[in-house]
Amino acid sequence: MDLGSIEERDMAAEATAEGGGGSGKGVMVVGIDDSDHSYYALQWTLQHFFGPGQPQQYHLVVLTAKPPASSVIGIAGVGSAELLPTVEVDLKRTSARVIEKAKQLCTQVIDVSYEVFEGDARSVICEAVDRHHAEMLVVGCHGYGAWKRAVLGSVSDYCTHHAHCTVMIVKRPKHKKSEHVS
Amino acid sequence: MAEEASAPAAAAGEGKMTMVVGVDESDHSYYALQWALQHFFPPAPPQRYRLVVVAAKPSAASAVGFAGPGAANVLPFVEADLKRSSLRVIDKAKELCAQVSDAVFEVVEGDARNVLCEAVERHHAEMLVVGSHGYGAIKRAVLGSVSDYCAHHAHCTVMIVKKPKNKH
Repeated sequence: MDLGSIEERDMAAEATAEGGGGSGKGVMVVGIDDSDHSYYALQWTLQHFFGPGQPQQYHLVVLTAKPPASSVIGIAGVGSAELLPTVEVDLKRTSARVIEKAKQLCTQVIDVSYEVFEGDARSVICEAVDRHHAEMLVVGCHGYGAWKRAVLGSVSDYCTHHAHCTVMIVKRPKHKKSEHVS
Repeated sequence: MAEEASAPAAAAGEGKMTMVVGVDESDHSYYALQWALQHFFPPAPPQRYRLVVVAAKPSAASAVGFAGPGAANVLPFVEADLKRSSLRVIDKAKELCAQVSDAVFEVVEGDARNVLCEAVERHHAEMLVVGSHGYGAIKRAVLGSVSDYCAHHAHCTVMIVKKPKNKH
């Protein structure tokens, strides 16, 4: 499974990423990108599974996929060869920013590791699930309609069908009737 | 903290989070329910969720739709049979959920897709749990996938529990 992966694994608190069953904890993989939906999904997950009061039941793996520069440029057309290094740097910076923001959100989580892998988000996420023998995968949802989904593809859709574990799709509430005390 | 039967309880803070679990007669459903119980309703610590188990009972007319002539005679039998199987589903769910302190069981008539999404709305659930038949692309296109529909249309987080295939 060689994606030409550029692997930067940064471990917080010496948690081993492979088979996080050291203390019998299951592994939860959260796939994020640089979108509000993703950060919302991460925050939702933290709020519900890694709350400050509760004992941590899972080893958390925060994962982001960095698309290869060639795939991003592929659509651009002519004169793109010179752009390659620039795009590559920009993509790296984006991934780093994503992880930085994730770290800020996850400050109270004890058992967490962060990963950046190069490749298409779909396969990166599903492979990470297999690699960690994860029990659960969490992804955000761009909320595309049927057309957009057909054209752009949906990572959450793909993961729902292909990941070998429970998949949780976190959505931003549309018409949240919060503070609705009757 | 009074229990409200039709509770739009506070989503954050002291209120319990409502979790809807959709079940049908398949093993995948029971597996999903058990998975949810195992992970979110452990017997020991105080349970942080309110569980709503929903079984959808297809209307007899839709079930018989393909039968053709003479279908009208069959209708009452089909209706009784469907009722019976829904009750069986709920009974089995009740057995599995014995340790849950705050559980509600419902049978709603209609197509599973709509039933589940409406139940989410009605209970202001924060999470919907469904099993997955694990259909391939073609089966999904022909038979339709409840989990797919719910993943796209439910107004809350959707958790799709799969029976592990190659469990190490």
